[in-house]
Amino acid sequence: MSNINALKIENLSIAFGGLKAVDDLSFHINVGEIYGLIGPNGAGKTTVFNCITQFYHPTRGIVNFKTSSGEVMDLVGQKTHNIIKMGLVRTFQNVELIKDLNLLDNILVGAHIHFKTGLFSNAFKLPNARKEEEKFAQKATKILEFLGIADKKLELAGGQPYGVLKKVELGRTLMSDPTLIVLDEPAAGLNDTETLELAHLIKQIREAYQCSILLVEHDMRLVMDICDRICAISFGKKLAEGIPEQIQESADVQEAYLGKKE
Amino acid sequence: MKKIIFSRYTKYILLGVVLALMPTIQQMGFIRSATITTFGTIIFYAVVAIGLNVLLGYSGLISLGTAGFMGLGAYLSTFLTENLGLPFFVSILLAVIVPTLAGILVGLISLRTQGMVLAIATLAVAEVFRIKFTQWDAFTGGFSGARAEFPTFFGFEFDRDMTFVFLTVLLVLLMIITDNYIHSSVGRAFLTMRVSEAAAQAMGINLLKYKLMAFALATAYAALGGALYAHFIRFSFPDSWNLGLSLQIVAVIVIGGLKTIMGPIVGSIIVFGVPAIILSRLPVIGDVDGLAFIFNGVLIIIVVLFYPNGLVHIATDVKKLFRKKRTEV
Repeated sequence: MSNINALKIENLSIAFGGLKAVDDLSFHINVGEIYGLIGPNGAGKTTVFNCITQFYHPTRGIVNFKTSSGEVMDLVGQKTHNIIKMGLVRTFQNVELIKDLNLLDNILVGAHIHFKTGLFSNAFKLPNARKEEEKFAQKATKILEFLGIADKKLELAGGQPYGVLKKVELGRTLMSDPTLIVLDEPAAGLNDTETLELAHLIKQIREAYQCSILLVEHDMRLVMDICDRICAISFGKKLAEGIPEQIQESADVQEAYLGKKE
Repeated sequence: MKKIIFSRYTKYILLGVVLALMPTIQQMGFIRSATITTFGTIIFYAVVAIGLNVLLGYSGLISLGTAGFMGLGAYLSTFLTENLGLPFFVSILLAVIVPTLAGILVGLISLRTQGMVLAIATLAVAEVFRIKFTQWDAFTGGFSGARAEFPTFFGFEFDRDMTFVFLTVLLVLLMIITDNYIHSSVGRAFLTMRVSEAAAQAMGINLLKYKLMAFALATAYAALGGALYAHFIRFSFPDSWNLGLSLQIVAVIVIGGLKTIMGPIVGSIIVFGVPAIILSRLPVIGDVDGLAFIFNGVLIIIVVLFYPNGLVHIATDVKKLFRKKRTEV
């Protein structure tokens, strides 16, 4: 593993009105690491996410990201839709898939940035458009096989169980050849078996697709199980950072979650 | 692969063949001559509705300016052929390109807004067009209207039946082209945008680019529909291009089926065909003023309440029902 960080956040701050949602937060993710961001409700986890992926533009701070081409670049101020081109892709808490399309087409959405042909070539099904569609359909099929849902390839996304939809959303991110995948509460809405399966899948993704993973999660078991390192935040500030055992033992973290000991 | 392509286009081609045979059937005396005119109307409104479906159905954006852009296409094509004597296919091309450019300009400004505000913004643009149509006599003939001719190709003049077949061919081509790009990365981008703008951005979809593209496409189809109107009906009158027409086009896709290619033609037959061919011939109620609007209004309520996916799905749903019954037995 290389010494360059996959992602390095320095002094990140954002305020909404007078409220400091994220306050001077710094952490880094090593290449190939599964990194967890935890905190009680309202701690600012999702805000941190949105600041990294440029859905929000932070008031202060640097978000240095190692792009797919290997160079390090500050993402702050970049256009939201350009972030994925650099190799950073995210998922959403409430799976945002297209119900009227089949699973294959839903996965293909993830390759949007790789499609070179435009409206005209596709309207007339020119050879280059047809070839391109076929190429990515093959890639998408491989991903569906990797996820173990290739048999449902041509079924509509609407009506699929939640576990399958979560997999498809993960698969969609893989189409963009990411170096860092940012998962927003991947275990939300899953039962225990599905969560276990997901934990296994996230590890598999790291091995097979050689990427780093950052996840925000409420499910402590999942976080403790798969994360190499964890950062716990509360009210936008860092409480503790370290390997899962250190976090579990941290008095600050226990206090933030359970309240002060009498 | 060939089989898949073949089966995907079959329904459009079949529809085209049936429509194209209508003038012959009429000459044999099975249907009335006026029915051909009605079906011509159905076709060019279907063209407009397919365009609006790209915008409203697939991309989830609303526009109430459809009629304004139709009018612009109609007057432009009339003016270019009648006053400037340009060949038909050059005028119709210009009658699509110029309104589309105007549409992109309107889109650049109005697409910063969403939902209701976008609806009002596009309505305002269409109203400006409509008022200009009544005032700009040299271009539109003002209240006395503008007269155009049936299309002429290289000195060969079409009659009504040939124009009808020409409309049919255009409709089928447009359906195939639309089907093609809707089932490509472009169509997927539209649909993703409709589900969630945030998800679209995360997938690298440039919202402004694709919103503009959808808007430009809807404008182009509307302008083409307008130009076809001008050369089939051969008369355009400023008051035709009002909000009522824009809403009727919305009714066409809601009744026919959002997010489908066949929906607009089904909806167009119901919205524009049924009142003219069936309702107006009924005794007593046939003479009621605005019967078509009452019919459409009631139908929209029924469809939205009981069949929100649109009537185009009736065939497949009936098939499913039969299959279920068979397995149950």
